[in-house]
Amino acid sequence: MKKNILILGGGQAGIYAAREIRQNDSESNIKILGEENLLPYERPPLSKDFLLDKKNEEDLYFHSSEVLKNENIDFENVSITKVDFENKKLFTKNDDVYIYDSLLIATGSENKKLSLYNNLKNDVYYLRNLEEAKTIKEKVLNKNKITIIGGGFIGLEIASSLSQLQKKVTVIEIGDQLMGRIIPKQIADLVQSTHIDYGNKIILNKQIDKITKKNANFEILLNDNSLIETDFVIAGIGSTPSVKLFENTNLNLDNGIVTNQFCETSIKNVYAAGDVSNFYHPLYERNMRLESYQHAQNHGICAGKNIAGVKTEYTSIPWMWSDQFNLNLQLTGICNDYDEIIERGNDINNGIIYFFLKNKIIRGACGLGIAGKIGRDIRITSKLSEKNTIVDKQILSDQNQKLNKLIQK
Amino acid sequence: MSEENWIEVGSTDSIEEEDLIRFDHQDKTFCVYKLTDGFYATDGICTHEAVHLEDGLVMDDEIECPMHQGIFNIKSGEALSPPACEDLKTYPVKVDNDKIFIKID
Ligand SMILES: Cc1cc2nc3c(=O)[nH]c(=O)nc-3n(C[C@H](O)[C@H](O)[C@H](O)COP(=O)(O)OP(=O)(O)OC[C@H]3O[C@@H](n4cnc5c(N)ncnc54)[C@H](O)[C@@H]3O)c2cc1C
Ligand code: FES
Repeated sequence: MKKNILILGGGQAGIYAAREIRQNDSESNIKILGEENLLPYERPPLSKDFLLDKKNEEDLYFHSSEVLKNENIDFENVSITKVDFENKKLFTKNDDVYIYDSLLIATGSENKKLSLYNNLKNDVYYLRNLEEAKTIKEKVLNKNKITIIGGGFIGLEIASSLSQLQKKVTVIEIGDQLMGRIIPKQIADLVQSTHIDYGNKIILNKQIDKITKKNANFEILLNDNSLIETDFVIAGIGSTPSVKLFENTNLNLDNGIVTNQFCETSIKNVYAAGDVSNFYHPLYERNMRLESYQHAQNHGICAGKNIAGVKTEYTSIPWMWSDQFNLNLQLTGICNDYDEIIERGNDINNGIIYFFLKNKIIRGACGLGIAGKIGRDIRITSKLSEKNTIVDKQILSDQNQKLNKLIQK
Repeated sequence: MSEENWIEVGSTDSIEEEDLIRFDHQDKTFCVYKLTDGFYATDGICTHEAVHLEDGLVMDDEIECPMHQGIFNIKSGEALSPPACEDLKTYPVKVDNDKIFIKID
């Protein structure tokens, strides 16, 4: 049956869902509604190669407009400001109406903002989209001392890029370690020493009390009364799922849009995928929300299948990466629910991995190494954790023994 | 086809099945694979960023990049999964007297 399928949000989950629907359904109308006037693009390079001028705008798009045209997928640049789930309608500010039979919500997430006095609101920069990346890139050109508030992935990746552009970078983190929300302390400490080796200053356990504008520069007062003078301030203090639109509807929200393992929300024919969804994972038997490239892609594909009537459970093992300086960090599975840790390797040049086990079964792993050195073992860990395999700890801890054997029959 | 273009990589037992070895020749790096139905060769560096595929995982007919999990078909070089989108170059391989040769143009 020919349907009207709308995808709200033109990001990574949205585009993968659209193409997957088309693979399974040649008839229905598929339209992506995106508020950025850009075809769906990759965000990871924004804090890395785009700032470093190693990639430009054209390199970021997932697909050209030709691909979308050939697959008969519409993209419309609009911002949706109201939803009416009962009558299956979406509205813009000017009351343009979009009607759907099936809706995928893929609105992603948005950066948390510092609570600041109004006169400083435009002086603190954030990074989520291409527009903001362009602004930061242009503005830092003639600045020297840069302060980054927040020692999470995005803040640290910006710190790495700006350091490579010869800026003097200070990172202020409120917690007692970097990337504290998900990365184990062992790895976070290694990342911290790398930043310090490259000349970045890392301040932990400190809060911002006040930011004062001094001519074109700023003074940042910390809660221990120390002062930091800086030319430019960027904040990366975490993000929240983009759900404001749905707050007064009967869509079930709890740290994002609650979905089951089929990407279905509490409302019939309404699905959600990517950063915005707090989805049920059958392997871990609980809900989780992930902000990662691989998840946005695979979750989008899974939602696409389900929307097209191919009932498919989402069982992907979580995986994410971060690139800082010449290091590649990767995390797979769950690294915060364990009763045993096993270490593999002790030299960043060959890669160091921590495996997290519970009841002898690998639940997750987090590793750090010179580009490429940990990927294979992290990937093998994903596969092992998927199958609940009990593995010989001696093999895990011995870098001379290849892990390939563990997944080959 | 001139004989000179065939370069000796090593003996057939230098690669385990469903695995690969890196082979450097002049200033280029290649990966040579042993799959269930024979030997194959591709460029040794990912088309996404300059990362050695020798550290990647071989699964069936695919090589997965160790950096961002871009996936390529080993036999055709086709980029199958982003962030890799540019295909990987492949090279002819022959086995002669238990020795592997690849043809570099
Ligand atoms: C700077 C940066 C670096 C990153 N680096 C990495 C990395 O190294 N590794 C990794 O694994 N992940 C990384 N990520 C995370 C990854 O990019 C995201 O998880 C992924 O983009 C999420 O995809 P999505 O489709 O859910 O949301 P998005 O890609 O954010 O797309 C959502 C889209 O919906 C639009 N939208 C929202 N509301 C509306 C509305 N009302 N009307 C119309 N349109 C709307 C938004 O404008 C946006 O374009 C990074 C993210 C950022 C921002
Ligand atoms: S370097 Fe190979 S996928 Fe990115």
